[in-house]
Amino acid sequence: MSDELDEIQGIFFEECAEGLVIAEEGLSAMAAGDVSADVIAGVFRAVHSIKGGSGAFGHGALQAFSHRFENVLDEVRAGHIPASAEVTRIMLNAFDILSDHVAAAQSGSAFPDDAATLEQLDAILASKGAPAEPGAPAPVAEADEFGFTPVAAMVEDFDPFGFEPVMVALDDLVAAEPAGWTVRFGPSRAAMANGAEPMLVIRELEDMGGRVAAADTSRLPGLRDLDPEEGYLVWTLDLPASVEEQAIRDCFDFVAPDSLIEIGRADVAIAPPVVEAAVSVPVIEETERPALTLVAGNVAPAVEKPKAEAPAQSIRVDLGKLDQLLNLVGELVIRGSILSDRLSPADQERVELPELSRLTRQIQDNVMSLRAQPIRQAFSRVPRMLRDLMGETGKQVQLVTTGETTEVDKGVIEKIGDPLTHMIRNAVDHGIESPEERIAAGKPAEGTIRLSAEQKGARIIVRISDDGRGINRERVRAKAIERGIIAADAQLSDEEIDSLICAPGFSTAETISNISGRGVGMDVVRSNVEALGGRLDIQSVPGEGTTFSMGLPLTLAILDGMIVRLGKQRYVLPLTNVIETVQPAPGQVQATSPTSEVIELRGQYLPVRRVGEMFGLTGERRPEDSLVIIVESEAAGHVGLMVDTIDNRREVVIKSLEDNLHPIRGLGGATVLGDGSIALILDIDALVVATGFKSALKGMAA
Amino acid sequence: MSKTQETEGEERKIVTFTLGHQMFGIDMRALIEIREWEEPTPLPSVPSYVKGVTNLRGAVVPVVGLAERLGWTPSVLHSRSCILVVAIGQRQAGFLVDEVADIVVIDSADIQPAPDVEVNEQSAIAGLVRIERRTSDASHAETMVLLLDLDALSLTRHIMDIAA
Repeated sequence: MSDELDEIQGIFFEECAEGLVIAEEGLSAMAAGDVSADVIAGVFRAVHSIKGGSGAFGHGALQAFSHRFENVLDEVRAGHIPASAEVTRIMLNAFDILSDHVAAAQSGSAFPDDAATLEQLDAILASKGAPAEPGAPAPVAEADEFGFTPVAAMVEDFDPFGFEPVMVALDDLVAAEPAGWTVRFGPSRAAMANGAEPMLVIRELEDMGGRVAAADTSRLPGLRDLDPEEGYLVWTLDLPASVEEQAIRDCFDFVAPDSLIEIGRADVAIAPPVVEAAVSVPVIEETERPALTLVAGNVAPAVEKPKAEAPAQSIRVDLGKLDQLLNLVGELVIRGSILSDRLSPADQERVELPELSRLTRQIQDNVMSLRAQPIRQAFSRVPRMLRDLMGETGKQVQLVTTGETTEVDKGVIEKIGDPLTHMIRNAVDHGIESPEERIAAGKPAEGTIRLSAEQKGARIIVRISDDGRGINRERVRAKAIERGIIAADAQLSDEEIDSLICAPGFSTAETISNISGRGVGMDVVRSNVEALGGRLDIQSVPGEGTTFSMGLPLTLAILDGMIVRLGKQRYVLPLTNVIETVQPAPGQVQATSPTSEVIELRGQYLPVRRVGEMFGLTGERRPEDSLVIIVESEAAGHVGLMVDTIDNRREVVIKSLEDNLHPIRGLGGATVLGDGSIALILDIDALVVATGFKSALKGMAA
Repeated sequence: MSKTQETEGEERKIVTFTLGHQMFGIDMRALIEIREWEEPTPLPSVPSYVKGVTNLRGAVVPVVGLAERLGWTPSVLHSRSCILVVAIGQRQAGFLVDEVADIVVIDSADIQPAPDVEVNEQSAIAGLVRIERRTSDASHAETMVLLLDLDALSLTRHIMDIAA
């Protein structure tokens, strides 16, 4: 039982997270000047559903805070409080505290200090909007579920004991002073087996002043047939008229959809609400544990829809199940290759086999798209962080994000969070100058951090750029010499100096600040990114700013590859990087130094790297007997890679090396080929960046 | 002879194998399978005792020259060379050994702690135990088995230490 409750609780927290994203987007839009009714209503609904759920799960502090936040939002929505910049700012603060509250409720840690923010919220309520006009029932009726909101006006309207006498003719004043509510609630037979707890719902109704009037035990079977996990009872509860219908409805948010829920005025039994209540929670009982949401269609429209409307048809699926599915599809692909290898070339061309591989491919694409999520999820934590950082540093920073709808594999999103956080901190701490410095340098006082994501082939490029002071190369160089990272007389290009900030044990902060100078530096960021099969690049212009680019794989699972041979080994080159293949004529490849060569291609000279040598596979081959594959790399543009031969083109399932070993620089993983042998997947970007790679290969096995 | 595993905690089953002239043992529970030696796919940037990776039912598993890893002279491959695939925590690894000998039941009480060995930077020997060795002649020769501490052999840990 408690496990199942935990699971549903987990769903609640996922919904909180979604709600927080929506609320933050809305509030950010309001801060940017868009105070349209839709935006405000979106924020209101998000906060409102967090409140509703928190009550159902007994998170008192979270509910109390969201409740008061919601009061203000409600007044803003009703137009009683203008959505001025000041009000929006306070609401953004309140949003931050709300996030902290959700985090505290989720982790069970200490609640954040919300007293100051609550005061501000109450101040808005008191100064701008009349708290409880009789003509505006919404804020009043919503108001007090637990009786701890010290807003005096609400007490008048609120009767916790349900004694309110009905003294007006009903047909006269149904809207203004209606009869009390009668709620009939019968959990579905399977509700408890699915983890629902009717008691919580009833308690919540009681907290709103409800009273159990009757319990219908007619469906209760004899003791012999009684299954203690089934629901047999139907309760009838009376609630005071002052409670808003929506508030009652909210209590049933987490009730199994096939349960009996009737909400009606005392004298009229109204059935219709049943349908709505049922529709609005269609997926909860299906779910096994907190998991990824699959939303058919776009996520954003959900904000615009009124709450009562059925949400986009979606189902929550455990991420583990998706991974399993993906693995199985991967195996299917491998088996398909084996099958194809076993058949004669003539049979391979027959229609069934291409058809089968096309179907497999489609299944694969579909499964992959299930795991794809907008990168917004990773970006969403940034605005909050920036607000905190601005508070800590006194710097002014404006955030511009683009491409947040770019879809990336869920696994990538999860893993870029930390590198992203670190780079943003870095940008604010080291990059952006103080307002005075900026003005002195002829820049606007407010710095700008641009966060962008775009898809380029099979990679996602995430850029974090600031318009700050750029990397101070002299200081970086001096520091690197001081730390013994480079020799005192080392000749380094600007790019090489920039990349020194990613060297292990490097930190340029003159005073260790509590923001980014905490020992884990950019080297951790870089290794995190590389562990994902990605690359980190730094471009910096002194006085104009620094850009960090993360090139990340779109998916962690499947790759279109070219199988190449080097000696006895086969390797996989990601096909997306391949531009063309050249069979060098004698003299076309020439040495420019004892260790470097170039290939002349249509009048251009491109650097050539002998992959075999880089992997320590000796065996001199003349360039004429080899093939040069021209690849495009993020870091070094077009580069030729010299290999012995090319086998074929194939889709390969990426198996990570770190499952059983650890990531290896220069390799994007391994794959199982059709004959069951393993081929290593080359990481082109790591390969072409000669500096660093050769040194990384020092420990190469003979 | 027919001692079963029922009295676990007291008795442990170990798989014994040889590296050179030494006999080693690992806990039976860690063993996934024993497979014939097959040249693994070599890896760059790894210590020389990591022979490469091999395909174990779809998983990429590293193969380690156990003798080298323990600081002995590297094993010479021969017809009885085989790979013990073991589970170390959540990970799997294959160990190249010279010859698998037997499965024996030992009493945990008989395990003696390994004396402090300075040969290796971190001792991979969890303890010593004497077993009766089945030999071709009837005489029951006793022999010493070095029980391996698999956790200490974990590749990740070791390599990460080097990298740090």
